[in-house]
Amino acid sequence: METIISSPSLGKPGFLSDLRALWAVVHREWTIFRRYPSWIIALLIWPLIFPMLYILTARALAGPDGSGLAIFMKTTGASDFIGYIVIGTTVWMWQNIVLWDVGFSLRNEQMRGTLESNWLSPTWRFSYLLGHTGPQLVSMLMFITITALEFGLLFHVRLHGSVWMILLTMLAAIPSIYGLGFAFASLVITVKEANAFVFLIRGLVMIFCGITFPISILPGWMQSIAKWLPQSYLIHGMRAAAFSNAGITELLPDLMPLLAFGTFWLVVGYFTFLWMERRARRTGAIGQY
Amino acid sequence: MTEFAIEARQLVKKFPARAGTGDKNSDSMPVPKRKWSLFAKKEPKAMFTAVNGVDLQIERGEIFGLLGPNGAGKSTTIRMLCTLLEPTSGTAQVNGFDIVKQANDVRRSLGTVLAGERSIYWKLTGRENLEYFAALYHIPQAVAKKRAEELIDRMELKDRANELVEKYSTGMRQRVAIAKALLARPPILLLDEPTLGLDPQAARRVRELIAELKQEGHTILLTTHYMEEADLLSDRIGIIDTGKVIALDTPEGLKRRIDQKEVIRLEVTGWHEDLGDRLKSITGIENLVTRRQGEADLWEVNMQAQNSRTAIPRIVEHISGNGTRLVNMNIVKPSLEDVFIHLTGKALRD
Repeated sequence: METIISSPSLGKPGFLSDLRALWAVVHREWTIFRRYPSWIIALLIWPLIFPMLYILTARALAGPDGSGLAIFMKTTGASDFIGYIVIGTTVWMWQNIVLWDVGFSLRNEQMRGTLESNWLSPTWRFSYLLGHTGPQLVSMLMFITITALEFGLLFHVRLHGSVWMILLTMLAAIPSIYGLGFAFASLVITVKEANAFVFLIRGLVMIFCGITFPISILPGWMQSIAKWLPQSYLIHGMRAAAFSNAGITELLPDLMPLLAFGTFWLVVGYFTFLWMERRARRTGAIGQY
Repeated sequence: MTEFAIEARQLVKKFPARAGTGDKNSDSMPVPKRKWSLFAKKEPKAMFTAVNGVDLQIERGEIFGLLGPNGAGKSTTIRMLCTLLEPTSGTAQVNGFDIVKQANDVRRSLGTVLAGERSIYWKLTGRENLEYFAALYHIPQAVAKKRAEELIDRMELKDRANELVEKYSTGMRQRVAIAKALLARPPILLLDEPTLGLDPQAARRVRELIAELKQEGHTILLTTHYMEEADLLSDRIGIIDTGKVIALDTPEGLKRRIDQKEVIRLEVTGWHEDLGDRLKSITGIENLVTRRQGEADLWEVNMQAQNSRTAIPRIVEHISGNGTRLVNMNIVKPSLEDVFIHLTGKALRD
C-alpha cells in the first residue's frame, strides 16, 4: 500500500504545465468531437444547404433570360454571383457555428456536470475556453474547404485570386469572431440561456454585413452600423481576395479594421470571462444547471 | 505544517433569495420590487443564508463526517472549502492555505469528488479521463501515465480502462471519479456523497477504499446521507442544520447524548397522521418520525421514549383499531440516526 502523506504532490506548477493543460483540453475536445460521427454528415450537407437558398432565389429573381443576374453582377462588381453569395453565407455560418459551439462550450460542460471538476483543478481557467477553440478552428477549416470543393465541383465556381490572401483575411478575422465567442460563452454561463442572443447577433450579421448583397445598397444609417461589424470587412476582404486577385495592399483597408476589432473583442472576451469567474465564485453559478 | 488539515472560522455564505421559493433561511425582508429609474436608490436584496457561522477544525489524518438534511448547508460548506464559492464572511484554511487568497494552493492540496459519476467525461475512456485530469493537475506526462496505470489497477478497472466511460456501471464511474481525486496525491480529500446511487456491493467497495485512504494518511471530509456509513467510517461527525453545526463529536460521543432514552421502532399498516398526533401526546414520547417502506402500505415509525415500559401499553392502545395494524415492535439501541432526529427533529432524508 502506498504511503501518501510522506510523498510530495505529483503536480509541478509552472508555465509549461499550464501549456500542457491547455493542450490536454484541445486533445480532449478533438477526441470527443471525433466520437460523434454525425459531424461528417453535417460537414457535407450544411455547406450546400444554406447558400442554395440564396442562389436559387437569385436565379428565380433574375428572370427567364437571367438578365437580372447581369444587373446584380454590375452592382456588386462580382464576376461570379454564386461565388459572391457563397463567401457571404460561409462567413455567416462561421460566426453562427462559433456562437453555438464556442459560445455554448462552458454551458454544455456545466449541463454534463464536468465544469465543476475542471474548475477544481489548479489550471489557468481560461484554458477551458481557449482549448475548445482549437478543434473548432480545425473543423471550421474543414467546413470551408468542403464548401469550396462542393461549389467548385457542382457549380463550377472558380477562384481568380490567391488562396493565401483568403487565408490571411480569415486569419485576421479569427480574433474578433472567437473573441465574441468567448464573451458569449461567459454570458451564457451567467444567464443559462442564450438562444435570443444568438438569433440577434446572427440576424445583425445577416442584415448589415451584406452576406448576399453589397453594403452600398443599404440606407446610410445601416451602412454606418455595418462599419462597426467586423464580419462586413471579412466578407468584403474575402470576396476581393477570391475574385479580384487583390494583394495585401488592396486588402489593408479590410485587414486593419479586422485586427483592431480582433484586439477589442479578445480583450472584451477575456475580461467578460474574468467577470463571470468572479461572479460565479460569489453566486455558485458554475454548479447551477 | 499547520496543526489542522482544514480549519474554518465563522464561515457564512449568503445568496440572493429567490422570490417565491420559500427559502427557510432567508432574512425577513421581502424581495424588493425593482425600480426602473436611473436615479432610484438601489434597495438591498433579500438574502438567503445557506451557511451561518460554521466553525470546523479537522485534524490531519482523520475522517470527518458532515451530516445534514438536504438544504442544511453541507454542500455549500464543501464548495467554499474547495474554492468553488467565496464565503460572504469568515475565513477558512485548507492545508494551511487561505481559501480566498491562496485558492490555487488549496486546489493543489485537495482531491475532490463532487457530483460523482457526472464529474468525468463519458465519451472518453477511463484511462483518457485520468490522463486528461492529470494534465489539469500539472502532473508531468511520463509520471501521469504511470500514476493513471497505478490507479486503474487499484480501482480494479484494468480490463475496462480502454472502454468509453458511458459503458461503465455507476460503481465503476464512481471509482474513476475517486481515482481522479487521487491523481496528484493530495493530502486532503473532499468526498461529497461518494456512495450515492451505488448498489450495496459497489458501495461497500467504496467504503473499504475510503478506510484504506485513511490508513495511508489522507485527511477525509465526507458528506453522506447514510448514517451507518458515517458511523462506520468517521472519527468525528459534525451535524449541520439550517446552516449551523449543531453538534460535533465522535459517533460514540454523539450516541451517548441520548443514552438515557430508548428508541421504540414499530412497523404498522394503515398509518395516518391523526395517529401520529395521538402517539406524540403520550407522556415521555418525543421525536416521532415515520418512513414508508417501499410501495406497500407498510410504515416504519421511530420514536424516542423516556421509559418504554410505561409508554408501550399506551402506544398499543392507540394503534389498535381504526384500520391500523401493528406488524412489529422493537426497542433498539440509539443509532446515529436517532441522535440526528433528536437534534434536528427530522430524519436525514426529510
